[in-house]
Amino acid sequence: MAVDTQDRPAATTAENGPTAEQDSRFQRYRIRTGMFAWIMHRLTGVGLVVYLIIHIWGLKSLSDPETFNALIAKYHSPIFKVGEFALLVAVAYHAMNGLRIVLIDFLGWSPKQKRLFVTLGAVTALIILVGGWPSIYSLGEWLFGPGTMPSLFL
Amino acid sequence: MAASKSNALNWFLHRITGTFLIFMLITHFWVQHYDHQVASVTHEVVTEKGEMPDYPDAAKEGVKAKMGNDVEATPYNVVMQRLADPVYAVLWKGFNILFLIVALHHGFYGLNNVLTDYIRDPMGRLVARSLSWTVALGLLIIGLYSVITAGW
Repeated sequence: MAVDTQDRPAATTAENGPTAEQDSRFQRYRIRTGMFAWIMHRLTGVGLVVYLIIHIWGLKSLSDPETFNALIAKYHSPIFKVGEFALLVAVAYHAMNGLRIVLIDFLGWSPKQKRLFVTLGAVTALIILVGGWPSIYSLGEWLFGPGTMPSLFL
Repeated sequence: MAASKSNALNWFLHRITGTFLIFMLITHFWVQHYDHQVASVTHEVVTEKGEMPDYPDAAKEGVKAKMGNDVEATPYNVVMQRLADPVYAVLWKGFNILFLIVALHHGFYGLNNVLTDYIRDPMGRLVARSLSWTVALGLLIIGLYSVITAGW
């Protein structure tokens, strides 16, 4: 599936004969920015529901200290640290794109769509970098040895 | 037509719960991942079997102050130091019960939107909807039990 995004083409291109681009068999599914945002919202949403199920199920162990300690220790293994970062990326994207939908639906910000998209994209990147630093830091310390990563604000 | 009316309410609720979740997630992430004293997840990778993550000094001191000098800062005890304060415990439980309900409604309503998009058959839709809301109800009960009995 092509994931390169492009803006809605000018109306005239659709009325003209087939162009080189339209010869592609995927042309009917050509992914524009809004559609890409929608697909990602859907994919991250389903992923987050799956995570929510596992998360609530795992918290049953709060009733038993031994099991809870073992579970949290497991959450500190490298693969879970990578997953933790992926989770943050999914949450940050889903939350900020959701906020975009709410602002457009409730406050009628559709004329400001483009600026809104860029601004929230920047906020999402910031959340991922700052919020994800603990995960990146811990993985780096483990991969390259203690003291090799700048601890920054941690 | 009655069904479309109730869908409009759910559509509206989905946006409200989504907005609430942003603020609740910030609180949740701060407490669980970033606060030096009470975060149960620390910035450390653990690979040895049986090894426990090492907590910041603030967390070790917090556990000692709340639970006694000989108590170690294990993941469970780091959570329990929060619940040791009865006022905080009630607030924490109230917050998490609300969080649980809002997250489950938002997640499973969204999941049902997706299912309805791909399942065309009315019977299939009914089965998918019943199944998914049953799972949600089961998770609500499990979650409520975990939150309410935590620290007992």
